[in-house]
Amino acid sequence: MVEVRLEGVTKRFGRVTAVNSVNLVFGDGEFTALLGPSGSGKSTILYLVAGIYKPSEGRIYFGDRDVTDLMPNERNIGLVFQNYALYPHMTVYDNIAFPLKLRRTPPEVIRDKVLEVAKFLHISELLDRYPAQLSGGQQQRVALARALVKEPEVLLLDEPLSNLDALLRIKIRSELKRIQKELGVTAIYVTHDQSEALAMADKVVVINRGVIQQEAPPDTIYNEPRNVFVASFIGSPPSNIFPATMDYTEEPCINLPGGTRHCVEEEYAGVLWRMKPSKVIVGFRPEHAEIVENPVDGRPVIVGEVYTVEPLGRENIVTVASEDIHLKVITPPEVRPEAGELVYVAVERGKLMLFDPQTEINLKYIAREWSQGG
Amino acid sequence: MARRGRQALFFLLPMLILVVAFYILPLVLTAWISFTPLTNWRVRDQLVDFVGLENYVNLYYLARYDPDFHKVLQTTLVFVVLTLFINVVGGLVLAILTYLIDERISLGYRLLWLLPRMTPLAVFGLLWYYFFYGGPQGTLNSFFLKMGIIDEPMRWGTDPAMLPYSAWAIIVFVNGLVGVSYGMIIFYSAFKNIPRELIIAARVDGAKTWEVIRHILVPIVRWHIVFVTVWQLLSLITSYTHLFVLVQWSVVDKWYGTTLALYVFNTAFFDVKNQGFAAAAAVILVIIGSILGLLTLRIMRFSQMISPPRGDI
Repeated sequence: MVEVRLEGVTKRFGRVTAVNSVNLVFGDGEFTALLGPSGSGKSTILYLVAGIYKPSEGRIYFGDRDVTDLMPNERNIGLVFQNYALYPHMTVYDNIAFPLKLRRTPPEVIRDKVLEVAKFLHISELLDRYPAQLSGGQQQRVALARALVKEPEVLLLDEPLSNLDALLRIKIRSELKRIQKELGVTAIYVTHDQSEALAMADKVVVINRGVIQQEAPPDTIYNEPRNVFVASFIGSPPSNIFPATMDYTEEPCINLPGGTRHCVEEEYAGVLWRMKPSKVIVGFRPEHAEIVENPVDGRPVIVGEVYTVEPLGRENIVTVASEDIHLKVITPPEVRPEAGELVYVAVERGKLMLFDPQTEINLKYIAREWSQGG
Repeated sequence: MARRGRQALFFLLPMLILVVAFYILPLVLTAWISFTPLTNWRVRDQLVDFVGLENYVNLYYLARYDPDFHKVLQTTLVFVVLTLFINVVGGLVLAILTYLIDERISLGYRLLWLLPRMTPLAVFGLLWYYFFYGGPQGTLNSFFLKMGIIDEPMRWGTDPAMLPYSAWAIIVFVNGLVGVSYGMIIFYSAFKNIPRELIIAARVDGAKTWEVIRHILVPIVRWHIVFVTVWQLLSLITSYTHLFVLVQWSVVDKWYGTTLALYVFNTAFFDVKNQGFAAAAAVILVIIGSILGLLTLRIMRFSQMISPPRGDI
């Protein structure tokens, strides 16, 4: 297959810059998710790779081949849309056969290939039907079959699961990943659903306002968000984020809401000593905290009042108000405090994230860059 | 079941009243008149004076032996077939062109093509009267004289040397110019309803522009093509207003500019005022129109395109 490379790609629509000097590598045979809120430019990147849009600046490569000025049909890509975009006047068979017919493939070969891909995707019995006679999941498979029958080097998926119901989505999700691995095709998957991105992708690229925020494996995206945006976009519910003042009398300590203090761990101390910011942005994941009665064990603790409790069966989401900050904590089902109750929120050791208030970048990354840069 | 029938009748009633009052009754009246010798509207003594099939027999002899009536029949055939072709295929081509180009330019372009339809009939007729005028002042003559292509003014639509083709060309051209915008509007709006992703998908699948047109655009608007074809066919068979102006002002030859519909009108109201005979011709026209309309629907496989109702009433 092939590696896809974007070098300094910018795309403007009139005065709007949808994608801003993006450098990206989609690894050969890798499954990469482009994750971002709507309007972040993720679909634009996909359409740039497809050749539907031409970049205003920069080049796009498939391996060694510069495809920047090639038409979509010259790029050997398969594209699956959110609304499937099946041709309504053609049967399933003709839909799948269409790209091959346009290539003037001999009819016997077309027949073999269509039957093969239909069998692979379990839609053999649907070949005589029209798209309007299919369910959403079936249409989804047909759209995938049409993209795969070309044996594309790159498979592009534009929110392909968004129109499916929740149960089907989870089922097709794992199936899609299996298919991609089996074929070894380079896949680029656009989604605004973080659980899809984390569950399926080898690498996740988080985008906001046309700029790449972080590019990393799902674990890293989740555990070590590069900046405040990634931390607040990923997770359900997302990370708690709030500003706090610093105190450097003996060692760098954070003044947490509710009047407690927490002196930072080793890995943050060095960078804080060097930068000496008077404020930081603090973050932690709701699942990395618990509600305790006695703050004794040296964990960072925030004092607050229970605001709401949302029981979800497997767990509860407890919102705690401390000063004017609302924090969410995921608790086991049996921990169900009353609203108005005074509680302590204890964050797991080493799970407190600190961000530079100016650049909003995770201090851990700044420290790492320094140690690398010498 | 009876309740459903009553409900259906209730909803159909307004339309039924209109159809009966303005279509069925006139049709019955016309059929009636076609069996009478009614001339010059002498309704009192002639409306109940039946002559049997005399008018139809006359029509038969006319069709068999009258050279002028032959010209009318030929003209009708040529006019309907060619203008229909221009209206449907031309409308489709215009719609595709305006669909493929930039929306801002396309809007102005489509408005331009709508002008002939928006222009009052008399003004539009007058325009072509001046344009094809036989004297040296005529637009076409004056242009060709100045260019040195012709030495003396031509009588474009009436010069026997160029008949019948020149007259046919003019009536087809003038009517096509009005009619083509209808198909254009219908087809264009149909194209606009095609999801953008469908066109992108076809492009990614490797379709070039003409393949997108052939495999995606045209098949998807098939229903609209059927509709425009039948609609235009029936209106071309029965309409005569533009032709009336062109013939009356001698832009074109009288017989090679007259279709059956205009012939019926002229016979009843203008030339000989023989209403009985005109009614007979009109009845034949209605029969021809109905057969052709049904035939077109059959050929274009209309029944396959009818979808089941979207819900019960």
